[in-house]
Amino acid sequence: MRAVWIVFRREVGQYLATPFYYLIAAGFLLLTALVFNNDLTISITYRPASPAVVPAFLSFTLVFLAPLLTMRLLAEETREGTLELLLTAPIRDVEIVAGKFLGAWFYYTLLLALTTVYLLILNAVTRPDLGLAASAYIGIWLYGGATLAVGLLFSALTENQIVAAFLSTAALLLLYLGSLAGQIVASVELARLINMLTLQGHFNTSFAYGLVRAEDAVYYAGLIVIALFITTRIVESHRWR
Amino acid sequence: MLLRKWSASLDMIEARSLTKYYGPHPAAVDLSFEVGRGEVVGLLGPNGAGKTTTIRMLTGFMPPTSGTALVAGCDIVADSLAARQRVGYLPERVPVYPDMTVRGYVTFWAELRGVRRPRAQADAVLERIQLAERSRSLIRHLSKGMRQRLGLAQALVHNPDVLILDEPTIGIDPQQVIEVRQLVRELGKDHTVLFSTHILSEAEQICDRVLIIHQGRIVAQGAPASLREQLQPGAHIYVALACDANRSVHDVLAGLPGIETIQQQGEGYTLRFQPGVDARADIAEALLRAGCRLLEMRPVAMTLEDIFLDVIGKVHRD
Repeated sequence: MRAVWIVFRREVGQYLATPFYYLIAAGFLLLTALVFNNDLTISITYRPASPAVVPAFLSFTLVFLAPLLTMRLLAEETREGTLELLLTAPIRDVEIVAGKFLGAWFYYTLLLALTTVYLLILNAVTRPDLGLAASAYIGIWLYGGATLAVGLLFSALTENQIVAAFLSTAALLLLYLGSLAGQIVASVELARLINMLTLQGHFNTSFAYGLVRAEDAVYYAGLIVIALFITTRIVESHRWR
Repeated sequence: MLLRKWSASLDMIEARSLTKYYGPHPAAVDLSFEVGRGEVVGLLGPNGAGKTTTIRMLTGFMPPTSGTALVAGCDIVADSLAARQRVGYLPERVPVYPDMTVRGYVTFWAELRGVRRPRAQADAVLERIQLAERSRSLIRHLSKGMRQRLGLAQALVHNPDVLILDEPTIGIDPQQVIEVRQLVRELGKDHTVLFSTHILSEAEQICDRVLIIHQGRIVAQGAPASLREQLQPGAHIYVALACDANRSVHDVLAGLPGIETIQQQGEGYTLRFQPGVDARADIAEALLRAGCRLLEMRPVAMTLEDIFLDVIGKVHRD
């Protein structure tokens, strides 16, 4: 556990010390601000503003955002040779992986926390459903964790950050858009099953509408655990090459 | 008996038939050797001989296919974490985080290895390795030689019993090579050092003992001086002389008692005699009788280079 904390701290330090991540944060805030502003504008005419609009927007954006946050994590260690040193330090492989994952999730949490400023603004002009806001934020937080875990997995696979980012975007896109495959199968049951395996299938119809269900939380937590497990195995495989 | 027990407990590295196969290809075969406390031992061999593989097994990076080793009394297979705790390791390519500061980097490794006061210890090591004035610089701004020293700082920060260095002098300029060699020599006073190299003179300069490995096997081991004695198949003597052209020098030399080979070398000849023959007086006398003048005569010490080629040549012939 101690090693997890040390690795975690170094990763968070890297996020906060690298200009690239400030650029990402700036872009992230700009986009979410535009989406929020657009929703406010719509609320003038035909429907009230939704406190879940930013999380709903993120549910798609994370497909591209998460790989940017995770591509460096293990690919760089492999390329620089520091992974060899980590693997000869008196710590377990899973502690390295967990520390890195938690570091990325923490940075994402910071970004997400910044967007709550829109809720404050909304609260000043109208009376938003804070229950819905809480549900959507919990959902997108877990959702983000799952996408970061998948990103980390692909970062472990290659020493090239660009390749890592590309592969994880492709994988996340598949996980996100997989439900479209439900439209071409005849069986409703099969379509439902496919939908239940996708990222948005556990967000768009539950968390995004204020519905907090255990099965959805378990889906994201399960995805995190599986991805981290595979990542640990990949890291371990460096010992056998 | 008691003495044996005592000396056994002094072994800091004890490899017991370490073997590593990459698929069907053997990288290290049945390596058994000991490194005593406070010894500086060189792992010598051409590229691809299995040096890095051996080191990677000892540092706990990869498990051996069979066999095991004790490092500071801890089994590298059964008790890997404890063994890793006692080893400082500098891989061949110095692994650094370019975006960290020198001090942050060393502190990070100190923390991971459970040093009690990581910051103070990091500062102390940087002082020792003469990087203290750069402790706030980003690593990306360091020269290659400095990075090498930083790598050593990382390996030393938890004050390990055993230091394992993989080709520590590769790719840095000659001045820095000398510095690193001195440093390794110095570290040998407080730590047990195992380092690999393919530069023979380097091993000769800084090692108490060398292990020559070739194709994954130990082909010779011992102190550089005793290896030389062991492997030198007889006395080599170089003579330079001036003779009348009409006399065949070769015939004169060939008549010497106990001579094995004669090799012309520039102005003179290198003569090899059977072991235990001291032919110096005979040489002088024979040459004088033949009307030659002796300009120079000196014994030729076999360098590690010669031993190395000799040993490896033997392996190939066998």
